[in-house]
Amino acid sequence: MGLTFSKIEGKSRDFYILLIVLAVFTLIGFICFMVSYITGHHVLGTNNIIPWGMPIIITIYLIGLSAGSLILSSLTYVFGKEEYRPIARLAVFLAIILIFGAMIGIAMDLGRPEKSWRLFMFFVLNNMRSMFAVNGILYGGYFLIGIVYLGVIFAEKYKFIRMMGMLAVFWAALVHMGTGAIFGFIAARPIFFSPIKPFEFLAAAMVSGLALLMIAVVAIFKFTKRNFNKTIIFSLGKLLLTLIIVLVVMVLVDKLTHLYSPDREPMVWLLTGPYSWVFWGLQVGLAYILPILLLAHPRYSKNIRGVMVAAFLVVIGIFGERFALVIPGTAYPLPFYPGKIEGIWGAAGSFPITPVESFMSIGIFTLMGLFLLLGLKNLELLPVDEKGEQTPAPSEKK
Amino acid sequence: MPRWGMVIDLDKCVGCQACSTACKVENNVPHGSPDEQRLRREIYWNKVIAVTTGKYPRVNTELIPMPCMHCDHAPCVTVCPTKATYRREDGIIVQDFRRCIGCKYCIVACPYGARSFNSKEQEEKEYHRQDLPPDRSVWGQWPFPTRTHGVVEKCTFCFHRIDQGLKEGKKIGKEVVPACVEDCPTGARIFGDLDDTHSEISSLLASRDWIRLREELDTKSKVYYLLK
Repeated sequence: MGLTFSKIEGKSRDFYILLIVLAVFTLIGFICFMVSYITGHHVLGTNNIIPWGMPIIITIYLIGLSAGSLILSSLTYVFGKEEYRPIARLAVFLAIILIFGAMIGIAMDLGRPEKSWRLFMFFVLNNMRSMFAVNGILYGGYFLIGIVYLGVIFAEKYKFIRMMGMLAVFWAALVHMGTGAIFGFIAARPIFFSPIKPFEFLAAAMVSGLALLMIAVVAIFKFTKRNFNKTIIFSLGKLLLTLIIVLVVMVLVDKLTHLYSPDREPMVWLLTGPYSWVFWGLQVGLAYILPILLLAHPRYSKNIRGVMVAAFLVVIGIFGERFALVIPGTAYPLPFYPGKIEGIWGAAGSFPITPVESFMSIGIFTLMGLFLLLGLKNLELLPVDEKGEQTPAPSEKK
Repeated sequence: MPRWGMVIDLDKCVGCQACSTACKVENNVPHGSPDEQRLRREIYWNKVIAVTTGKYPRVNTELIPMPCMHCDHAPCVTVCPTKATYRREDGIIVQDFRRCIGCKYCIVACPYGARSFNSKEQEEKEYHRQDLPPDRSVWGQWPFPTRTHGVVEKCTFCFHRIDQGLKEGKKIGKEVVPACVEDCPTGARIFGDLDDTHSEISSLLASRDWIRLREELDTKSKVYYLLK
């Protein structure tokens, strides 16, 4: 437990340059959001057949990253794995930033964001049968729990940390399963409709959250010239491999169930249609196959660069997984009447990438980057590098 | 309490799109450019789809007018987080623009594609068109005096006409009908009370073969189609 944490200096020129670049992109993103808010959503790529675009994809992606990151912080605070203690504070802080980014994403997607207070009028003005309203409770509670959790960690009240950790893990799992339920409960969209969706989302959350945490740890420790114990990264790599395999099994079950039933047209369309490159290329290729090969490889899994490449591929690939769910899931034309529906009503939707939407999306990420830098500067998140050797004490168990 | 429903006789429908036009005029639904229509950004409260079966030269084309189905088990009502979409006591599913936050969940959940997102502010002159019928006061107050972008819109079965008609003691289904029913040149659409055994639609449903769209989802829609 003799580990102390510190802030970063944050006075170098590079730090300020990075801060300014992020701030500029955030400002551009905000301007683009105001454009879409004032002139209407016709500046975005969404339409009546694909009503949800980039902001929603990013939102569920960020919620996943956040939930995964928070669950992994519990390795230390709940399950007592001391070797991960140096990165646990960062994990909790990342989780809070990411859920904040996700909330921004939802606000950007709403047509009338000024009325979003209506989402939080639980049981009064809300329809509690809506998964959105239920998730409002989950997200709001998650944000609060995350902040209290970080607070007790900073105050080092160990009894409360363990309690809050358990609550946070339970809640994080609920949050991401609730997000999966938003999609999985919609019977009208055959690609969404699946009881396994909540669990698939949870597995994807753990995978992407872990991968992001690994990248963040290595990047920040390298950048602030701290030494770190490479064995943590390798053991996290093993955990990542396990979680990816769990996720692959879930996805496989989901897709096979849809392919097995006679109503397999939508799933065949997803696997062979115009968006199949997202599914096969990003989701299966980048998120599953390549990382599994890298992490199972005897040499690359013992090489920091190999593990980092795998984590990076996973983070990109899981974004592809979200894209391959939201866009093709809604783009598949609805079968109103048996036969071939002619004209626009029977055509699959198209999702043009527009500049406003792209800059809005970049803005969400840069805003979170900004918060991360400011957090590192003002909060004691990183372990102190006492002897200039390694900060995380090598674990005895290994 | 009545339960309003509609019967569409596919045998009589000629696919003239008069219902779509009548709906746009009555409810002042904004019209879009060809580009917007191609991108599926135009707002339609009522649409007519063409469905073909068979191969040339043996092709059968069916024209299916599709208003909102006003399902008794409406998926859109279930998913709306803010009660902006709700079922009135007379079975009409309405959308309250003041409550709608524009999350578009209902568009995703609707199996009939009956909902449209208002994605841009229309020109003032397009909204308050001069060619609107001057005597619209006879149909009651227009329910959407101000309209904003960023909310979801849908067919209302012209509930403003029904409410006004009930107030004046007129017979709904005979003297007062929704705009699409009124303007149908072939009389393919019939409107009335499904629970009233003496109404015209009840007798039609009892005597003819009918279907409802996407019965497999069990939405219990209140728009019935009489087969050819």
